Amino acid sequence: MVTSTISSFAAVATAATVSPGLDLEASFTDVMQGLGLSAGAARLLWLPLPMLLVLVAAVVGVLVSVWLERKISAAVQQRIGPEYAGALGVLQPIADGLKLVFKEDIIPARADGLLFTIGPVLVVIPVILSWLVVPFGQHLVISNVGIGIFLWISLSSIQPIGLLMSGYASNNKYSLLGGLRAAAQSISYEIPLALAVLAVVMMSNSLSTVDIVDQQTGAGILSWNIWRQPVGFLIFWICALAECERLPFDLPEAEEELVAGYQTEYSGMKFALFYLGSYINLVLSALLVSVLYLGGWGFPVPVEWLAGAIGQSVDAPVVQVITGATGIVMTVLKAYLLVFLAILLRWTTPRVRIDQLLDLGWKFLLPIALVNLLVTAALKLAFPMAFGG
Amino acid sequence: MFLPGVLPPAVADSVSTAAFSPGLSLQLHAGAIAPEAAVLIALLTCLLVDLAGEKAASRWVPPLCYAGLGTALVLLALQWDGPQDPAFLGSFLADNLAIAFRAVVAASTLLSLLLSWRYVEQSGTPVGEYAAILLAATLGAMFLCGATDLVSIFISLETLSVSSYLLSGYMKRDARSSEAALKYLLVGSAAAAVFLYGASLLYGLTGGGTSLTEVASALQTSASPVTALALVFVLATVAFKIAAVPFHQWTPDVYEGSPTPVVAFLSVGSKAAGFALALRLLVGCFESFDAQWKLLFTVLAVLSMVLGNVVALAQTSMKRMLAYSSIGQAGFVMIGLVCGTEDGFAAMVLYMAAYLFMNLGAFACIILFSLRTGSDRIADYAGLYQKDPLITLGLSLCLLSLGGIPPMLGFFGKIYLFFAGWADHQYLLVVVGLVTSVVSIYYYISVIKMMVVKEPQEASDVVKAYPEISWNLAGLQPLRAALITCLLATAVGGVLSNPLFTWANSTVAGTPILMHAIG
Amino acid sequence: MTIASTTQQICFLVLSATLVFGSLGVVLLPNIVYSAFLLGGVFLSVAGLYLMLNASFVAAAQVLVYVGAVNVLILFAIMLVNKQETLAAIPGLLLRRILSGAVCAGLFLLLVRVAFTTDWALPGPTPIGDEATIRIGEHLFSDYLLPFELASVLLLMAMIGAIVLARRDVFSSDVITGEPVDQGLIEKSRTPLLLDTNDQKRPMLENTP
Repeated sequence: MVTSTISSFAAVATAATVSPGLDLEASFTDVMQGLGLSAGAARLLWLPLPMLLVLVAAVVGVLVSVWLERKISAAVQQRIGPEYAGALGVLQPIADGLKLVFKEDIIPARADGLLFTIGPVLVVIPVILSWLVVPFGQHLVISNVGIGIFLWISLSSIQPIGLLMSGYASNNKYSLLGGLRAAAQSISYEIPLALAVLAVVMMSNSLSTVDIVDQQTGAGILSWNIWRQPVGFLIFWICALAECERLPFDLPEAEEELVAGYQTEYSGMKFALFYLGSYINLVLSALLVSVLYLGGWGFPVPVEWLAGAIGQSVDAPVVQVITGATGIVMTVLKAYLLVFLAILLRWTTPRVRIDQLLDLGWKFLLPIALVNLLVTAALKLAFPMAFGG
Repeated sequence: MFLPGVLPPAVADSVSTAAFSPGLSLQLHAGAIAPEAAVLIALLTCLLVDLAGEKAASRWVPPLCYAGLGTALVLLALQWDGPQDPAFLGSFLADNLAIAFRAVVAASTLLSLLLSWRYVEQSGTPVGEYAAILLAATLGAMFLCGATDLVSIFISLETLSVSSYLLSGYMKRDARSSEAALKYLLVGSAAAAVFLYGASLLYGLTGGGTSLTEVASALQTSASPVTALALVFVLATVAFKIAAVPFHQWTPDVYEGSPTPVVAFLSVGSKAAGFALALRLLVGCFESFDAQWKLLFTVLAVLSMVLGNVVALAQTSMKRMLAYSSIGQAGFVMIGLVCGTEDGFAAMVLYMAAYLFMNLGAFACIILFSLRTGSDRIADYAGLYQKDPLITLGLSLCLLSLGGIPPMLGFFGKIYLFFAGWADHQYLLVVVGLVTSVVSIYYYISVIKMMVVKEPQEASDVVKAYPEISWNLAGLQPLRAALITCLLATAVGGVLSNPLFTWANSTVAGTPILMHAIG
Repeated sequence: MTIASTTQQICFLVLSATLVFGSLGVVLLPNIVYSAFLLGGVFLSVAGLYLMLNASFVAAAQVLVYVGAVNVLILFAIMLVNKQETLAAIPGLLLRRILSGAVCAGLFLLLVRVAFTTDWALPGPTPIGDEATIRIGEHLFSDYLLPFELASVLLLMAMIGAIVLARRDVFSSDVITGEPVDQGLIEKSRTPLLLDTNDQKRPMLENTP
């Protein structure tokens, strides 16, 4: 499925021609052709590399966030947190992971074994697939598909099926309730989320994540979307937290009410998949917030100005490498700033009730998101210069 | 530097020239849908008024609906014989056929709404939403009458259908109503799916076009089995909408379980839209398959006339009887469709107009009866003439007209249909029509006999306990007005039917697709 | 045969197999929950087919609408009404199944014959790939403007109707007279259709006791 998606996407993907920037694929192909390979073979060799890279990046991202979560929660509660596994406890997440890998995989006696196994898989796959569209630089993206951000929205809508599946298959009322809550929450918050994204898309005239970031370059921090879409930013952030089932919206697994929701019966690697899925999703959401609203890979001061200030051409190889590296660092930095915010929120806010949650989604965020969309459209017509006319 | 160059230049060009050129609003000919716009405005105002509470809704919603539908009818009259430019870049065409059938639909909604108010309030269901959903059904039916593009046809068909499902299930605490809605929904969705399949085949045959003219020209050249398949699929949907046997199974149960005013609308408005769709698709599109679809429709018409009228004999419930009789009536109308002559089409239009008044008149009577007694059993009508002469008179006249007894409006409609059929050598259809008419007269007369001939002591318990006749409750006056309007039209319209004949003939004369099929 | 076309063919075969067997499973499996989950799989493989036709926007929309909304709602409904009920045996069930199977097989044969006897215009128009989004937008606001706007009325009505049918705070009295009412048909039921106490055999309802 992954390869088919990517190959057909690659067929339709068109290279953006705004500024050349760092193009690793082109360089790689050049090197391979220098070694005597055909262009097709070079491409075939290239294809798995970014995928593997992103998979590794996602898992490392999770490890880092888990460590951050433990440390920050400890700091919030005036504890120390993990400290013996590695310096400052940095190896603690790996220890956690190893423990889960070697735990016994239990399928409850009266559970539905098949669905019980497919459920967690269905939860993780869409999240990882969504990393396809996260750009770390002008050409540092697995696939610059034209439908970009829309792909993420539609893929994230598959997740509730996996949750419902595992909730149902566990044959446990807490699990079922958790699964139902998760699905209800997910479909309720997807709508304001999509509307908030739509406002951004309207400004950049494109669904492609690369184009969305490109539209925010030019004046450094001043051209980021957060200044033009403050309401959209808040809506998106709240909805993203709800989609990730983070506190204050972690009702599907509210431990006081539902033990652990749809995860109740899971152990070992299947539980690890849920765990992994939720953290990958968190990092992904943070990355997308930074792409949509915080200028993506853009440095707060435009790189062109800096290069001009030190008298270098933007196209010089050294500058290109530095720009690319800065891009990756900036994207990750912004994302982890947001992850930090999410963790702080988790350990400082109380959980909302299910009716409050649904009220917030349907009666508050949805109308606000609609108004935001309308206002954006009006502003785009009135000030085409500033709102991407 | 906010990146204007995201759009490729070629696309940006085509966007600015093709779709958003300043002349677009003129090309749209949006005036063609002015009547629908009036209905839509009424719909939205109803919903807004409904926010003020049930009291305000029952006070203000009726006049709003009258205003909207009345405006729509006036605008339709103004459109008559107007310019026939395709509106909305080929999605809609306001030819005389569309105008005539839209007028029938709008009038049937207006009359059904007049019959509804008391019924809806007495059952305790919200009035505002009821009116809004019925207006949405009207909107769908009106668009269906003029739609000239497969996508528009499908969307308007679905607007009509979805609203009809909702209306059938509107008495939600009643198991019969929920059952009706569920059956209607399931069968209707299947029919919609079949239509989509047929439409997709047609889309493929035209090589990516959805307008009916493109489909027609593509069908001229292709005679492969796939065309026949598309014809059968599309025809199945049309037959479902007009409830022709064997696509009629939903009708009796839906008619029995739905609120009676809704049945009144479904049996006239929805059916009229179905016939308009049939004319547009079959006559306008499948004319190269004339022989095939006419054969199929002959079979459908014979089956509908026979089964509808014969099964109606055995019914004990008034609503079920009218359901089966409406199946039979659809069979009569199909004679005109099969003829394909000027007289045939004119007779169809005339009969639909006549059917509007006589059927809605009959429904007005049975609604009034059930409001007063809470029954729709035929046996309960025994001896009614002594307690309620108005219902007795109205029901008798309307049923006689439905059966085709001479001085009534229905007689002229029916005789015109049979005349057109005979002139076109459809002897089988005409003979079956005549025989089944006699059958239908039998069961219509037996209702009348039940009401009129019974002695006072033979009257049913319900009639013996008949309440004092009063018209002072809100909602009964409109019902009386609708009843008397229908009654007058049915009784006097027959004698003064000449304008109707001219109207029906000029409908055909002002419709290019029909003239093309004739000439 | 290049690598790309081989990959494409393999993908097509896998997707079509999933589609065919999945839809058969939806219809034939006795467990409704499995049917519902399989339906999700069917929708996904349809999205995959769209993707192979270079219609990525339609594919994503298919996933969003059908998998993310329709299928989730179906599952939701099934799980909220997760009542184990033993239905009364339907007389002549085997005969009915054979009959409907025969009808379906006949229809299938007909479709196969039609598919093979028609000379389809192959290859179709070249896909426009990522410009499809723009093209769809152009169509929606030019030649499909009327159906597009009408769809908004349709959706509005569907939403209002769903709320009307689902809401609990109902009026229990006639607004004009103030008499208590029961929100049922005015014609009082003599023979209830669903709870057929008089054991009246009616053709559509033979499976109710």
